[in-house]
Amino acid sequence: MNKKQISLSVCALFAAGAVQAAPLKVALVETLSGPQASTGLLYRTAIKYELDRINAAGGWNGAPIAVAEYDNQGGTAGASDKVKAAIAEGAQIIIQGSSSAVAGQITEDVRKHNLRNPGKEVLYLNMGGEALELTGEKCHFYHFRFTTNAIMRIKTLVPAMKEAKALGTKVYAMNQNYSWGMDVDKAIKDNAAAGGYAVVESTLHDVNKIQDFAPYVAKIKASGADSVLTGNWSNDLLLLMKATRAAGLTADFGTVFLDQPGNIGNAGETALGHYVSHTYNVEANKESEKFGNDYKAKTGHYPAYVEPQTIFGMQMLAVALKGTKPAGDGINVTELAKNLEKAKITGPMGDVTMRAADHQVQLPMVVSKVDKGAKFKVDGTDMGFKVVKTFSAADAANPVQASCNMQRPS
Amino acid sequence: MPGFLSATLLNAAIQMLIAALFASAFNVLAGQGGMLSFGHCAYYGIGAFATLHAMNAFSGQGLLPTPLLPVFGAIGGAVTGLAAGWFSTKRSGVYFSMITLALAELLHALAPHLKSVFGGEAGVPSMRMPAWGFTFGSAAEVYYLTLAWVVVSLALLYFFTRTPLGRLTLGLRENAHRLKFLGYNVHMARVMVFVISATFAGIAGGLLAMSNEAANYSLFEVRLSSEVVLNSYIGGVGVFFGPALGAAVMTFFGYAVSDLTRSWLLYQGIIFVAVMMFMPSGLSGIVAWWQGSKQSAATLLRYMLGWTAGTLVSAAGVVFTVELLQRLMADDYQFSLVAGRAWPAIQLFGRAWLPGAITTWLLPVALLAIGIALLKFTSARWQALNDTEAA
Repeated sequence: MNKKQISLSVCALFAAGAVQAAPLKVALVETLSGPQASTGLLYRTAIKYELDRINAAGGWNGAPIAVAEYDNQGGTAGASDKVKAAIAEGAQIIIQGSSSAVAGQITEDVRKHNLRNPGKEVLYLNMGGEALELTGEKCHFYHFRFTTNAIMRIKTLVPAMKEAKALGTKVYAMNQNYSWGMDVDKAIKDNAAAGGYAVVESTLHDVNKIQDFAPYVAKIKASGADSVLTGNWSNDLLLLMKATRAAGLTADFGTVFLDQPGNIGNAGETALGHYVSHTYNVEANKESEKFGNDYKAKTGHYPAYVEPQTIFGMQMLAVALKGTKPAGDGINVTELAKNLEKAKITGPMGDVTMRAADHQVQLPMVVSKVDKGAKFKVDGTDMGFKVVKTFSAADAANPVQASCNMQRPS
Repeated sequence: MPGFLSATLLNAAIQMLIAALFASAFNVLAGQGGMLSFGHCAYYGIGAFATLHAMNAFSGQGLLPTPLLPVFGAIGGAVTGLAAGWFSTKRSGVYFSMITLALAELLHALAPHLKSVFGGEAGVPSMRMPAWGFTFGSAAEVYYLTLAWVVVSLALLYFFTRTPLGRLTLGLRENAHRLKFLGYNVHMARVMVFVISATFAGIAGGLLAMSNEAANYSLFEVRLSSEVVLNSYIGGVGVFFGPALGAAVMTFFGYAVSDLTRSWLLYQGIIFVAVMMFMPSGLSGIVAWWQGSKQSAATLLRYMLGWTAGTLVSAAGVVFTVELLQRLMADDYQFSLVAGRAWPAIQLFGRAWLPGAITTWLLPVALLAIGIALLKFTSARWQALNDTEAA
């Protein structure tokens, strides 16, 4: 080989190196310590599961996708710091799920970063922040929401419970007094005509502060409600259910977060006959069973609570990545976002797509009932979730909010 | 400094400065005035929201360009401090602490409902607008802005300790009865000290708002109030710069360690307990000890090294145990266990450790034993040295 050849091949090597230079970096800015860590760790498990699969299939641009974990310490200020750190360390995709408050901070941080650094955009994948503002007045092109919202949850819960004759004509709306609870409360009232019920009373109570729900249960009893619809999560849901059984109230509960791991185990028999609207039930069909078993083989448990939608979201990312060619020495995030808008997967529950107008995912929903006859038991009890009714993505969809005014890159 | 630091460290430096100012403001009340507030995040948070609303209202234009906006944090902090201080300073001691805690909790409970003021769950967003030829788009510019505000604020706070009111503050802590007999209006004096502390806490909140460009009501969580108490006491409330030192050190600790291990809150707790047990005057107590001792610098350095080595070795033992246990308890490890088979090795510090082997557990125990022996030995020598000097 003469000098020219050597220098040429060195040049070629460098050029190849430049194309391969920057592996795509994903930052998981999640609550990994403190009281809310249990939920944050679920997101982490689901994201790792799907990223492992993407990397096993070749990653992006021939290199595995790198994941860095950042602990947002449960607060917005911590999240803001960690987002800055992640971007400074080269992350181009930020993923987060637990807490709408943190989601509100991150989506704003990302929006401002992108405004100030044209050409170096960052993408924010919101896996669990359900507050309506995030796809309403706060919507922007680089934010994608892969979870549902209050309207979608109630819109599916009501017809399913009505069909099962569990709704009755008198409904009690019981919710937490902050944006999420208020969204659910409003959705319950908006669905009254369609569900053929009257909201006999609606209560908004303090979040995670009430130790004894007996006075509230007395009010529910006095109102003569046939059923209770609630967006409560965690302790507020558990204590509320426990208080009803103690008071001998037999009203059925329509819930949103009953499938959080540990809830059924804690509630025990109290949970029997209660409904939940969620994005996945392992016993829905053959596909969902296959999917659930694969997840269990890798992580030790069936996907539940926030995990399914997170996995579907990551699968959509995988589809979008496949369609995005490397530009220069890295990925063009705007291109990726455009592909993500068009991404479509066929999940175990049906087709999942992204709505371009407000970046709200359109996904099938399922309403399930806690039953001893369920095939897959949860929390080591003899109870599980039995499918009541499934909804296609179109049936579950909520309309685009008028407040969303998205500036699209040309 | 920004020239040498990565963007990540620069951001850490900004947070350290803010935490240092917050702790120093808190210390005016707690350390100098003897009034232990358990709800100081209220004034910090109000300062942040006041600044954000000002940012949105003025867009950094006209008479109030972006760099001056934390003034609104000061005003917000002062006004709330006046209202809260008026009530809480009517009592002293534990009752004072309880009232400040109650007022902060009141705000924490109220904030989610006042959506127009505190922005609901998604919070109040804003954006730093260009002013004075700066864009305020980069971390370096925010760093200089924060640095300027913190330096001026700390200078003012230091100056305050030299004023008659500053002197009076120490009197409030030592003997309020006596001040009353001397003819001072103790309640008024306490309110004034409270307002000054809340004002500077408000500035710290305002700087946070400038740096994060958003805030939500989680700023009113009791965690923030307790953090400033911990930071101040770890640094040492007896010295003016003690709380600032503690806050800076602990903020950096959180920054550096929180992404390395899930158990960092436990380590933070252990540090606090250890400092309170063995160094009641905090980290700044070391400086006082060094300056107050009659021994030669070389002797002091020797003992200092002895104690540091002992601490580090025993800390290594503790960290090793905690990390091993944490990995052992983790879901993915428990999942990898197969009944009837030996437990697989755990990867830690670049090596594989068998949880069933005695040697694995012997190592941290040995480290802990050596560390404690080193500490005991050094302390005993130090005691003996002082005893012979005395005799």
